[in-house]
Amino acid sequence: MSFQLYLLRRILFVIPVCLGITLFAFVIANAVPADPITANLPQSALNNEEIIAAFRARWGLDQPPHIQYLTYLGNLLQGDLGTSIKTRNPVAEDIGKFLPATIELATVGIVFGIVFGVAFGVISAIWRNTLADYLVRILSLLGVSFPVFVLALVGLTVLHAQWRWVPGPGRLGVLLDDPPFVTGLFLIDSLLAGEYETFRDALSRLILPGLVLGLYVSGIIARITRSSLLNVLGLDYMRTARAKGLRERVTIWGHALPNALIPVVTVIGLSYSNLLSGAVLTESIFAWPGIGRYMFRASTSQDFPAIMGGSIVIALIYVGVNFVVDILYYFIDPRIRLA
Amino acid sequence: MTSSITSLTRESGWRDFVRQSVNQLLRNPLVVSGLIVIAAWVVLAVVAAIIAPYDPLAQNVNVRLTAPNDVYPFGTDELGRDVFSRVLYGARVTMPAGIAVVVIGSVIGTIVGGVAGYLGGLWDEALMRITELFMAFPTIILALAITAALGPDIRNAIIALVVVWWPPYARLVRGLVLEVKTQEYVTAVKSVGAHGFYTLFRTIIPNCIAPAVILATLDIGTAILTFAGLSFLGLGADPSSPEWGRMVSIGIDFFSQWWMWLFPGLAIASLVLAFNFLGDGLRDLLDPRMRKR
Repeated sequence: MSFQLYLLRRILFVIPVCLGITLFAFVIANAVPADPITANLPQSALNNEEIIAAFRARWGLDQPPHIQYLTYLGNLLQGDLGTSIKTRNPVAEDIGKFLPATIELATVGIVFGIVFGVAFGVISAIWRNTLADYLVRILSLLGVSFPVFVLALVGLTVLHAQWRWVPGPGRLGVLLDDPPFVTGLFLIDSLLAGEYETFRDALSRLILPGLVLGLYVSGIIARITRSSLLNVLGLDYMRTARAKGLRERVTIWGHALPNALIPVVTVIGLSYSNLLSGAVLTESIFAWPGIGRYMFRASTSQDFPAIMGGSIVIALIYVGVNFVVDILYYFIDPRIRLA
Repeated sequence: MTSSITSLTRESGWRDFVRQSVNQLLRNPLVVSGLIVIAAWVVLAVVAAIIAPYDPLAQNVNVRLTAPNDVYPFGTDELGRDVFSRVLYGARVTMPAGIAVVVIGSVIGTIVGGVAGYLGGLWDEALMRITELFMAFPTIILALAITAALGPDIRNAIIALVVVWWPPYARLVRGLVLEVKTQEYVTAVKSVGAHGFYTLFRTIIPNCIAPAVILATLDIGTAILTFAGLSFLGLGADPSSPEWGRMVSIGIDFFSQWWMWLFPGLAIASLVLAFNFLGDGLRDLLDPRMRKR
């Protein structure tokens, strides 16, 4: 299958999913018995006929539901996600502000996850049924069984409160200002501005939450790496490689691992999109001003424009990451290319 | 995994399969320890009222924030409630909630998948596209949005999780139904005049149920974890309720009183770990490639 055809098929699959996501968010927000005007406008605006009329016109509230949905979709395509009731800012602007914090955290988390996960998985597969294997398997089960929020609290108690190895919650210390906004990623922005003190602080504050998220996903990655590598190690070409006298290290790193990585890449992609969308718990403990915390606040204050906008953006990211994984597949797995 | 499950159902009746599997499972030490822990929690949940030294809701501000000692083995919380009693009673909330999510979700998924696979054609297309749509949404975000719409309480948290839980079952069962419905015994049942839904629910689905049950067992740990997470965010149980996730979240404000959050946290972890041990054993059993080596 040519790459263009493969890409086209994946895109054709993604479009209805995206439309469905917006429809779904729309239905949930409209299933609420509350009056959209009282739910969306601040108390002070409710006496003002003009504001109410303008709001009706903007979202087509005097129209039947399917027209309302199309209006919403039209506004969405222009980047208008409505205005948050709580922050009084356009939802798109809020998301632009909070999303980079989540991306930064999730990326550090997935890097930890890949390093630990693949290493543990390889150790466990090579020394199958030894003490090391059992330890890794139990550790990885612990990783997926321990609630992330408990892990975070244990980390804070031990590494921060007791040993003072890492700083406490938050993205930056109180004495430091945010670096000038370029990407919204503090690590990059602070380097661009030459604020090394800020960079150091931002990095040190990413370690603990990143480690917590990383431990969580490393459990899953380790399991898949282990079982996939075990599969490959038993195949004929591995015996051939050994028979022609290759050293064990070369057979494993050069022959087995690259072939074992295909399912691992899928799991890494899935884990990354889960970290991006599911960091709500970690973010609320570490006072991390990310999209998860924004969504959580919106959901506790019935801030429906923010909930809708946030869930659409997160779901799109989720779909987007999985799309990228599908595309990567094309390059990793020759069977797709040659099929 | 699905394909190995399918082949197992096809090759032998699922009753034989269950008997063999149980025997093999009981030889796995991780599975046995998991089962023991689960059984222990079930017993604790049942007898909580008898063995709990205090009423889990009774406040006593004179002893608030007491560290663990002889009188209060797990200490007391910010209102002087006994953490040990609350953890015991918590087994009555968190565990059934997680199990309810999986049971209801798997039943709905089985029905949707069964109908889609059996009717085929446009029905199949439509139902499966809807299923994929639900799967495209990240779990906790969808649950957040739904609980925001319904209002936070235990029942609504369960509803929200069921909404995100059924799709994998629908996909699994649809695939199995597609295979089973072409079997000769199904044709036989139809030829003696059984009508559509009788055939589906009395003949086809009972032959597809084993894999769904297995998936459910694998799933309970995650369901408990997710439910506790929602409660932790304040979207499940109300603050006074002895729910484990909720207890941890209250404990955050009393960070240095570690006993307030550590014990309920360990309770969640032990139960989820036990279910994962069980699930891991099942997975090993089902993957013949893993068994050989």
